[in-house]
Amino acid sequence: MSKEGMIRKRIFTVLFMFLVTLVFISITTVIYTFSKDTIRFNEALRLKKAVLYAAGVLVSEQPREIEQEYKKRIEEVLESDGTVRYYIVRGDDRSSVESYVIVTQGPGLWGDITVAIGYDETGSRIAGIEIIDQNETPGLGGRIGEEWFKQQFRGKSSPLSTVAEGEAAGEKEFQAITGASYSSNSIKDIVNSASDKVSSLLRKE
Amino acid sequence: MALYKVKRVFGEDLGANNPVFAQVLGICSTLAVTNVLKNTVVMCAGLIFVTALSNLTVSFLRNIMPGRIRMMVETLIIASYVIIVDIVLRAYLPDISRQLGPYVGLIITNCIIMGRAEAFALKNPPGLSFLDGIASGIGYSYVLMSIAVLRELFGSGSIWGYKVLGASWTNWSIMVMAPGAFFMLAIFIWIVKGSTNRGEK
Repeated sequence: MSKEGMIRKRIFTVLFMFLVTLVFISITTVIYTFSKDTIRFNEALRLKKAVLYAAGVLVSEQPREIEQEYKKRIEEVLESDGTVRYYIVRGDDRSSVESYVIVTQGPGLWGDITVAIGYDETGSRIAGIEIIDQNETPGLGGRIGEEWFKQQFRGKSSPLSTVAEGEAAGEKEFQAITGASYSSNSIKDIVNSASDKVSSLLRKE
Repeated sequence: MALYKVKRVFGEDLGANNPVFAQVLGICSTLAVTNVLKNTVVMCAGLIFVTALSNLTVSFLRNIMPGRIRMMVETLIIASYVIIVDIVLRAYLPDISRQLGPYVGLIITNCIIMGRAEAFALKNPPGLSFLDGIASGIGYSYVLMSIAVLRELFGSGSIWGYKVLGASWTNWSIMVMAPGAFFMLAIFIWIVKGSTNRGEK
């Protein structure tokens, strides 16, 4: 092949790659732009639902009802940088404090676990917990998201320790998941350190 | 499109040339997502979608695509479709998207997609390539789903999240963990090869 032909072929190759990239990036960008708001809305809604659930407020699955309940009951206490330090949950009369919720993170088996933890008005008893984000093994550690596991924290107080799955748990104990000791211990550590955080937060108020 | 060609494509991909048990491709995801049936089904749907469309696109471009950059182009095409699947899941099926987590992104690395693009779509017309993508996806899916049904049943006593085995059932934790998948896949391949190879020799 002539030298000119070689150069032309190379330019075509580069141009071809550039065009294919441009076309596909444009397609994904358009799709992303259209669903961006839905994705953000989903994430915000999930957080609101988690805060309400952790506070022990009955949550419906309907987005509008979640929004309404959240608006009515929850007051966000912000840090100076605009992130939420903790949530105050108001009673039905909208002035009394029913509980507090904090959102906290800790290491799990495969990645960080993000949990919303609710406390009663004194900050000593747990009102409930909700797992917001987790990457534990589905079917094993992933069961920390199951209803029975989360429900057992209601009314307990820290420092918590674990008992085997299926055994009766005392006031400072919860049932670990069989085959997922690591994930269960992660939750224990996250909840226990969150309790310390909450008591120091409330002392400051 | 001749009917016998379509029949051959489906026959090959579902049987003798099945991507999982004959070509032994896509094993990472076979091991990773088959412990819960629901995740498996979404993973399979994602894979069928990506394989079919990437085959179609590669086949359309096959005559003008410079040979030396074809793999770059294929990877780009596959990655774009996977990103689309990821965005759609996050927007419309957020719960499943969260459960699948990083696995959706890992569809890109599933060798079946690249394998079909290279082995089939580069040499065949778009329509047939599209069908080959669907057939390979289905071939992959039915193997994964059979494994997932058994793993979830033995490992968690449930199917599709519903308890089917009573309280007296003791869960086999190993079924939910990766080693369980190795056993199930090996047994699956053993049974299939055992029954199809009979009469040979």
